[in-house]
Amino acid sequence: MSDRSRREYAVVGKNERKVDGVGLVTGRPKFVADLDLPETLHVKILGSPHAHARIVEVDAHEAEAMEGVACVLTYENTPSTRHTTAGQGFPEPSPYDTRMFDTKVRFVGDRVAAVAATSERIAEEAIAKLHVRYEELPAVLSIDDARRDGAPVVHDEEDATGIYDAKRNIVADVDIDVGDVEAGFLASDVVVETVCETQYAQHTPIETHVVLAYLDSDARLVLRTSTQVPFHVRRIVSYTLGLPLHRIRVIKPRVGGGFGTKQEVLLEDIAGLVALRTGRPALLSLTRAEEFIAARTRHPMRARVKLGAMSDGTLRAVEMEAISNTGAYGAHGLTVLANTGSKTLPLYNKAPDAHFFGQAVYTNLPVAGAYRGYGATQGYFPLETAMDELAERLAIDPIELRRRNHIRVGETSPIFQKLGEGREGVSQTIKSCELARCIEVGAERIGWSEKRGRRERRGPWVHGVGMSIMMQGSGIPEIDMAAATIKMNEDGSFNLLIGATDLGTGSDTILAQMAAEVLGVTLEKIVVTSSDTDTTPFDVGAYASSTTYVSGNAVVEAAAKVKEQILSVAGALLGVDPGVLDLGEGAVIAPNGEHVGLDRVCHRAMYESNQFQIGATASFVPTESPPPFLANFAEVAVDTETGLVKVVHYVAAVDCGVAVHPKLAEGQMEGSIVNGIGYALTEEMLLSSRGRVRNPSLFDYKIPGALDVPKIDIVLVDSYEPTGPLGAKSIGEIGINGPIPTIANAIYDAVGVRLKTTPFTSERVLAAIEAA
Amino acid sequence: MGFDQVEIVLRPTSIEEAWTQLMERGDAARFMGGGIDLALFAPRSVKTLIDLADVPLSGIDEDSSGLRIGATTTMTEAIESPQLSSYAKGFLRDVLRQVAAPLQRNLATFGGTLASGHPWSDVVPALLILDAELTIYDGSERRLSLESFYGERAASGRSLIRAIHLPPIPEGGRGAFVSFTRTAFDVGMLNVACFGSVADRRWASVRIAVGGTPGLGTRLRSVETLLTDQAPSEEGISQAAEAASAAIDARDDRRASASYRRKLTARLVARCLREIGGLSKGGAR
Amino acid sequence: MTISFSINGERRTVRIEAHESLLDVLRREGFVGVKVGCHTGDCGACAVLFNGRAVNSCLVLAAKADGAEILTVEGLGTGDRLHPLQEAFLDEGGVQCGYCTPGMIISAYGLLSRNPNPTEEEIREAISGNLCRCTGYVKQIRAIQTAAERMRSGDE
Repeated sequence: MSDRSRREYAVVGKNERKVDGVGLVTGRPKFVADLDLPETLHVKILGSPHAHARIVEVDAHEAEAMEGVACVLTYENTPSTRHTTAGQGFPEPSPYDTRMFDTKVRFVGDRVAAVAATSERIAEEAIAKLHVRYEELPAVLSIDDARRDGAPVVHDEEDATGIYDAKRNIVADVDIDVGDVEAGFLASDVVVETVCETQYAQHTPIETHVVLAYLDSDARLVLRTSTQVPFHVRRIVSYTLGLPLHRIRVIKPRVGGGFGTKQEVLLEDIAGLVALRTGRPALLSLTRAEEFIAARTRHPMRARVKLGAMSDGTLRAVEMEAISNTGAYGAHGLTVLANTGSKTLPLYNKAPDAHFFGQAVYTNLPVAGAYRGYGATQGYFPLETAMDELAERLAIDPIELRRRNHIRVGETSPIFQKLGEGREGVSQTIKSCELARCIEVGAERIGWSEKRGRRERRGPWVHGVGMSIMMQGSGIPEIDMAAATIKMNEDGSFNLLIGATDLGTGSDTILAQMAAEVLGVTLEKIVVTSSDTDTTPFDVGAYASSTTYVSGNAVVEAAAKVKEQILSVAGALLGVDPGVLDLGEGAVIAPNGEHVGLDRVCHRAMYESNQFQIGATASFVPTESPPPFLANFAEVAVDTETGLVKVVHYVAAVDCGVAVHPKLAEGQMEGSIVNGIGYALTEEMLLSSRGRVRNPSLFDYKIPGALDVPKIDIVLVDSYEPTGPLGAKSIGEIGINGPIPTIANAIYDAVGVRLKTTPFTSERVLAAIEAA
Repeated sequence: MGFDQVEIVLRPTSIEEAWTQLMERGDAARFMGGGIDLALFAPRSVKTLIDLADVPLSGIDEDSSGLRIGATTTMTEAIESPQLSSYAKGFLRDVLRQVAAPLQRNLATFGGTLASGHPWSDVVPALLILDAELTIYDGSERRLSLESFYGERAASGRSLIRAIHLPPIPEGGRGAFVSFTRTAFDVGMLNVACFGSVADRRWASVRIAVGGTPGLGTRLRSVETLLTDQAPSEEGISQAAEAASAAIDARDDRRASASYRRKLTARLVARCLREIGGLSKGGAR
Repeated sequence: MTISFSINGERRTVRIEAHESLLDVLRREGFVGVKVGCHTGDCGACAVLFNGRAVNSCLVLAAKADGAEILTVEGLGTGDRLHPLQEAFLDEGGVQCGYCTPGMIISAYGLLSRNPNPTEEEIREAISGNLCRCTGYVKQIRAIQTAAERMRSGDE
């Protein structure tokens, strides 16, 4: 159900079947591990049992001597180049603090060595035969530990770069301000302050990290990998292994979920080196336990928001302080921290005084990385909680308070300029914002005025409703680049070659829809090849909600160039000025109604006259990052005797610009919301007093299943972004930010307690109710 | 762990043959029903699995002495059986439907589930309050209460459960059950099973079992005694609930703290008792 | 040891090791539609139909499959002739990354083969052991309802 775009599109806006769908529902071999190559070696990694230790010695003799063991990798026989694993554009705004195999381990599960053998079983047995001596070091196991004077130093190596202050375990430090926030608070009629803490949580893609590395028949290294960032993989592996970039090919087949954890060069260096050294294919995949322990996680954060407002509800001063735990390595540490402020504060742009500051610190704990929402998720918790607290203090309806303060079309925020991906950002003016409509529709759908403040009781259950609003971004302005190549075939079809990375998000499909729209053909006439560094042009990859907007604009531009060529050939064919021609229904259309089939046109260009390959490449670098906007509403029921919280109804009204594929757009919202509900209520990585993950399994780390999902209403509000490809913005991340603050606000409505620590387990909720 | 060390798989066709195979192979052998417990938890020492699939041990029948569930009957087969699904007004079927998910229930056998006796088991407390008995075979056949079976725990995975027996339900008897989980596909951080009837406005046949404490479900006989022959009342239920809370062996673990478990015990026992006593304030969850 | 079973209607005799799970053997035999998600029965990605019942193949000892009938998603339908469940998953947007899809479809198939007119609650229960991180289950449930409707009315 959606307010559909009223623009007359033929392909965009339609719920086409995904271009890769048939293969997926019939179990065709489309994923990395589905390719079975002869002589494949299985690689296993030995993970550290200690949170912090020096490796004194790795004795691999017994392991190496085992029948079936092809090679053993340790710090002694691998490149020592320090790099970042973060899949970001070069130069990566993450520290180069990672060595392929280091002489020090920094978290339980950190790499110690790797074995490649003819079977998984033999590799595991060989791992058990590695004899390692460690010198244990004191560990830092919390944000506060890390920042204490004299705390153990997680990164004391000489050759790391890009760390803000390694001796104090500070990866990144951000401090930006607008106006004078202290003066602003003094001038405010009301000031509220809230501190929230979010937990270690995990993406749990159903397919764990996996890579198959092999040498092709020209002895080039091919990495067939489950990644979000094929081009960054190529560059970083080249750098890490000291192998020329042109000797590496990275192919992303189908990926079984990413959500940010695969925006990382996690395994490809090991598998690649094994393939190079042995000449045999090397398959490396993480077990589910390893995925929990040694992949990537959400950044746990402590975030404080202080709001000052006038009695009429207009915000005067907004301050956010965030301390982020980036774990043992600093990938994404700076940028997630910066996004905590850059994707939240501009929403309330009218406050003349604002301040965002914070730090990302190292700990000897699992490594945090990119995760859908990317800091905004952690930031909206205290921000939207504080807004509700402010509304209560001012005796203004929470919805009304949002209405009076949120950003609108034609407006800007100084935060856009001041805070970008760790460095300065890019100024922009909002050109599409249907947030007011989102709020209106959502409030009506949840039954806000009937339910708010009623506290309807059914036995021990009390009901309440809450809301929140948010924005995100669409790509990283002036940093992201995407390119697309389109070439025509003589049956009137086209090959669309895009670096853009489909994780199951459906980008292959929606980008093909855009091309089809411009070229006036049906979807099946667009044959997509994506994410192959040899054959597809550059794309930064799937992150920062960039694919629809940035890759989409490249596709639309390439299609426009190809259209021009087609019309020029057709013009020559018909003897008319190409300027009067158009494309539609698989043909060139003349003003007199005459149709010339595209196959006819291509035949002419390919075989007959003034031959050339009709085709074009276009690149796009965005100059702005037009935010999608979202209003969330939830009805919860709280069991006052046990503390159990159930979400009864969740409404998300979203402005994503034009929805290229409404069902896929809804799917992005539904999936991110359910993930967010798990993050809010049940998901928690538990750590022992020695820094070990205590629940590295889906048995003990609970993500929502089909019986846990409330009634979810997604409303795609009609919108159009003028700078977007055919009016589109993005939708990939924003949904996950909603559940925590919305549910927290709904719980308050129900039982009058404000929860400030996630997840809102029944035990925590009951304790809060009983303490009140 | 799990299947990794298994070297031999046998498929006997009779209970005697199965027992002989176990005796021949000693500690390195285990019986296998569905195999879920073995796939996940079999110790490294287990090298031989004796698959009971071809031993005629499945099927459910009912006579005047009650319900008899063959040990290799799967959870799903039990749920689908007309006799079991009407037993105790559907109480047991409703409990079984909460165990894991259909994928597990389609594979897990009744006997295997009881033999593995995981402390979070929902089935165990539910059967304890129904006064379940087992027929086991350890060279010869014998019958014992489920409670005694866990009391003995001599064989664990090495006793061959032949059948589970459920006596006829006392007149007017009702059951109530709660497994308090985080998500639906989860084991409980506590489970509560209550059974009882009200006859002549007095509690009769009250049985209470609490499990997942994190220990295996056990009957709380001291609490049952508090209620027996009393007139059902909110006060009496409260007292019993508090007594249950104090009686359990509660400990902290990954799922919950001991103190929270005690609170839950009190509140969930109260709810179950209200439900079976007909004083429902809103029903068990 | 050697076992013999029927897979997607075809009889096969296969050499296996005693310790292997059915999941290992099926993938080794080329049935890569059966996915590895956790190897501990927690995610359902490896679900197959075993003698007519949906089970986690990672929990089934391969030796147990001797004499069994197994159905995987590859056996439900192919590109030119899809099963109504496969069609419905495509039409309703129930496939995002597709990794949980084979197991999900198998569980749905198991349900519909016994209960052709399930309630929404029964559908949720049937797939409660199949975890998905992409879709939030909304469109998958819709797809199963659509497939059930189509199958009841005889649409192919």
